[in-house]
Amino acid sequence: MTTTAHSAATDAPGRTTADGPAVVVDDLRQHYGDFEAVRGVSFEIRPGELFALLGTNGAGKTTTIETLEGFHRPTSGTVRVFGEDPYGQPAAIRERTNAVLQGSGLLEDLTVRETVDLARDLAARPRGTEEVLDTVGLTDKRGIAVRQLSGGQKRRLDLALALVTTPEVLYLDEPTTGMDPEARIDTWRIVSELKRDGVAILLTTHYLEEAERLADRLAIMHRGRVRVEGTLTSVLEGWGDRVAFAVPEDVRTADLPGLEGADLSVETRDQTLWATYTVRDGDVAERAHRAVAALLSWAGERGTTLRHLQVRGASLEDVFLSVADGAADLV
Amino acid sequence: MSPTTATTTSAPTTRPSPSRFRRTLRLTRTEFTLFVRYKTAWWILSMPLLMLFLTFQIPSYELMDGVSSVDMALAGVMGTIGVFVGVGHASNVFTARRESLVLKRLRVSGVPPLVIFGATTAIIVFFSLLAAVAMVALIALMTGQTPRDPLMLAVAVTLNAAVMTMVGLLITPYVRNSESAQMVSVLPMMGLFFLGGVYVPLDFLPDGAQRVVELLPVAPTAQLAQAAYSGYDVFDGFAGAESASYLGLWAAALPSVAVMLVWITALALLVGRVFRWDPRQP
Repeated sequence: MTTTAHSAATDAPGRTTADGPAVVVDDLRQHYGDFEAVRGVSFEIRPGELFALLGTNGAGKTTTIETLEGFHRPTSGTVRVFGEDPYGQPAAIRERTNAVLQGSGLLEDLTVRETVDLARDLAARPRGTEEVLDTVGLTDKRGIAVRQLSGGQKRRLDLALALVTTPEVLYLDEPTTGMDPEARIDTWRIVSELKRDGVAILLTTHYLEEAERLADRLAIMHRGRVRVEGTLTSVLEGWGDRVAFAVPEDVRTADLPGLEGADLSVETRDQTLWATYTVRDGDVAERAHRAVAALLSWAGERGTTLRHLQVRGASLEDVFLSVADGAADLV
Repeated sequence: MSPTTATTTSAPTTRPSPSRFRRTLRLTRTEFTLFVRYKTAWWILSMPLLMLFLTFQIPSYELMDGVSSVDMALAGVMGTIGVFVGVGHASNVFTARRESLVLKRLRVSGVPPLVIFGATTAIIVFFSLLAAVAMVALIALMTGQTPRDPLMLAVAVTLNAAVMTMVGLLITPYVRNSESAQMVSVLPMMGLFFLGGVYVPLDFLPDGAQRVVELLPVAPTAQLAQAAYSGYDVFDGFAGAESASYLGLWAAALPSVAVMLVWITALALLVGRVFRWDPRQP
């Protein structure tokens, strides 16, 4: 296959420019009676950018996506897709957007090929059925009924239905749930291709590795609010590097050194006492080195050894779990 | 997935955006396939045929010159095919499709509501007309009667199917799954059928009740079918009904057609307001 860039930027009236955001959400609030599902969420997505919206169950991610899809009118705040209010899916934007829903939404009595053909024939800018089936790896399944597909294969077909309409904005609501690892990696490759083609993508996922691999920017929602937002690097930088070791038997907890710009925590794992320094201050590129150097110096002076010494940056999971207050409701 | 060609990068086909009419036709084609493969749809379609067989059992007496009560009841059943197919099929499949996210999937793909409703209405009208053809053949076989005005009969079946599809769609927001849709739809189905004047001639009702029933969306199509079969102007009841010319019969039928068009418009607007596309309830 050849690469033909398909950018959201065109000269057509009402269309976005290459520099302008395709999706704008500004102080979005959604109430259901007394319950406030979304509490002042704001973000933008530009063509060719993937924005990951993470969060615990009930954080308000799907409500936010459904508002962008045009199913709900905001209680307050604004949402715009290509500069238009998406509520009711006006003609100006409905042919330029598509979604992979959290559930499949497939007609089980149709075959795989009939399903894609239908989506293709209803689309304004369709791709070829065979091409799309090949892309998602369902070519050999095209003749069988949808009801006979496995859960992961249905998710691939969902993706095919989104691809076949050539969307400029794509909402992916947990698109790889139910897929095996190989299919998940293939899906990541397809999504990366879409980004390169200029598609603006909003992704929600419970797989944090997925967000780490794909997201240009991300936000973590909890109870309707965005708690953390930024690029992956900026989000992780703010949560510090971890330096951990097993506390030597001849060292009391009170004797552990204090490090400038670092917080110390001590916990028992497998009947062993562990010290963990979370280093947040200082030059991001050098702060872990400085902390390790100071600790090794301290150990040398005491004539002891830092057993099982570990150094690692913060992971998205660390950030997520902190935001989710221990993540009791995390899937 | 293909290891060598997992890419989305070939250029999309550029063509004029398909019109709503073309999209409706395309979706209707798929609705036809789905109807044929869906056993419950065939069961629902067989219900008016079952009612036709029951109708042969009612007492027969002469209503008009050469026209019996059974003849008019049989014609009336044909004018109410949509009560079964429209209410039963539309409520069932739209509830099931909402719960399985099929409707939401279509909407996020850019398919307008009018296309989705239009395709289902078209297929219900098509299969109602198909059932009507089978019933005409059956009646001809058993009684030798054929409709005097087949076009008026087709209009009756079409209008009834269209209105009843709207009634079926209006049931869906109030039921949680297709099983409850099937159960709940039996009530309006039976109520509307027996209020259509098929088994109990409207002449037997008090004047006030008769006027109300005539304004409901079943009696007008039953009367259209009875007029189409008999050639008599039965729109003011069987008592004193006289044979009418082709144009005279259509002129007499216009108020009934108008009542049905008003119902279609009103119910379509109501569907647009209350229909739920998403199974998630706030």
